[in-house]
Amino acid sequence: MTTDTLDADRIVRPEAPWAALRRRFSGRYPVDPFGLDPQLADLCTPVFAAAVRVRISGGEHVPASGPAVIVSNRGFGVAEPAALGVAVQRASGRRLRVVGAPDLPILGTVTRRLGAISSSSPDVTSALRAGHLVGIPLAPTWLRTGAGDAPLAVARALTVAPIVPAAVRAVGRFGGMIGSWEVTFGSMVTLPDPYAANDPLAAARFTDAMRRAVAALLDSP
Amino acid sequence: MNARVLVTGMGGELGTRVAQLIEAREWAGDVVGVDFVPPRRRLRRAEFRRIDPRDRDRLAAFVEEYAPNIVAHFGVYEPASRMTPASARERTEACTAATLSAAASTGVLEYVVLRSGLEVYGPPTARVSVPDEDAVPAPTTAYGRSLLAVEAAAKGVALRCGVPVGALRYAPVMGSHVPSPLGRMLRLPVVPVSAVSDPPFSVLHPDDAAIAMVTAIERRLDGPCNVVGGGAATPWQAARLGGRVPLPVAPGLWGLVGRASEVAGAALAPHVVDLIRHGCTGDGSRAREELGLGDLTSTQDVLRELFDWADVVAIARAGEQAA
Repeated sequence: MTTDTLDADRIVRPEAPWAALRRRFSGRYPVDPFGLDPQLADLCTPVFAAAVRVRISGGEHVPASGPAVIVSNRGFGVAEPAALGVAVQRASGRRLRVVGAPDLPILGTVTRRLGAISSSSPDVTSALRAGHLVGIPLAPTWLRTGAGDAPLAVARALTVAPIVPAAVRAVGRFGGMIGSWEVTFGSMVTLPDPYAANDPLAAARFTDAMRRAVAALLDSP
Repeated sequence: MNARVLVTGMGGELGTRVAQLIEAREWAGDVVGVDFVPPRRRLRRAEFRRIDPRDRDRLAAFVEEYAPNIVAHFGVYEPASRMTPASARERTEACTAATLSAAASTGVLEYVVLRSGLEVYGPPTARVSVPDEDAVPAPTTAYGRSLLAVEAAAKGVALRCGVPVGALRYAPVMGSHVPSPLGRMLRLPVVPVSAVSDPPFSVLHPDDAAIAMVTAIERRLDGPCNVVGGGAATPWQAARLGGRVPLPVAPGLWGLVGRASEVAGAALAPHVVDLIRHGCTGDGSRAREELGLGDLTSTQDVLRELFDWADVVAIARAGEQAA
């Protein structure tokens, strides 16, 4: 039936400008229920990739398909999530659905078009059920010195998908604004004991485990 | 099984399609429908009784006498679809109260499935934009509140009779032959859209809605279940898909636009304005897992079908063209 869809999970090479413009004008582009506009996101991808230079290690830990959570540290601002998105794209060719779309009229619409989702537990769970790769930044650490806690609202969603820790470090001058970033992915975070999906206690233990995993990646040489 | 099935709202497009599907099933014994208008397609063995839901006593007496085992409750009327919002609310309340209480009193009721909608969740918020069935309903429109009241009435029957009750929370059902205020608005030459946002919404094909209800009966679905077409579209995009001109509307001007739209032949119900301004989607994973509805028609295909439907041509003009 539908012949004009673009992949909502995988990034593809942007179309020729004329074809993209025709598709845009005729409304023949996909939108997902969270608001992602893959055509617009694919058009912006080269711009982000040029602006944020990234060195990647441990890219093999990013799942090539299926739902997963990538948990990372975050400083003040949007630099770390942007660097993480570029790193995930290079490592797996997939889109990262970053949690934390602001609830503001225009900024909220723009960030959702590019793939952000809200930081509520139901939305994170829905995105994972739909098979997306979800990026959850831990609470901001203002001086970029460590890993904060996971937002409480999303903690319960973490028990339903594999969790991959990631450390995002600035290796350029002025904290990464000029220069490049280094993104290190670690192996999957697991709990030693069995647990049930949506178990609040398991969620709390996962929160601790992934903060420790991200902190260990940040401390590694 | 030879179950006695009652289909309320059989005169609507969805009610008729559901009755057609049910009468083809082996497990269905007698199939009887009620509504205030006759069915819209040929039915082979289902019977129809023309009863206006506002005539509660007559409707309740008929249901008691028929004593159904299964009730497929489609007597839930959308405002500005085939009647005014006030009339839709009155008929929905009357049909729900008379049918469910009479069916519960017979002692042979085994299952109830009803039509509800994503409108029960209210507009998407900063917290939840794609609600699943666990999200707390917070309707902000009369239609959403009406649907929630129908669900509550059915839950009361479930408690009283100890029978399972399934509530199918449909995305707006839209198709070329289904009376829908959203469909009518999108087919206007100029489509009003929000000037400050372009939120995603999902819709559902009428065939998928009918299949979902019959599958819910067969699998005895219990509790609410979102049924949502794949993907989404935005109002600006939907207007362009149909080759229409999007008209950006500032937040304070929707009342004025609603009156103009009504004059143009497409009355704008508050829940449609809500959808255009704030979006309306839901997580359909329960329907995929429990009802096996993994291949529903996508939102954009439903929109394409809506726009492929030929425009209305005045008889005089059609005659001129033929000559």
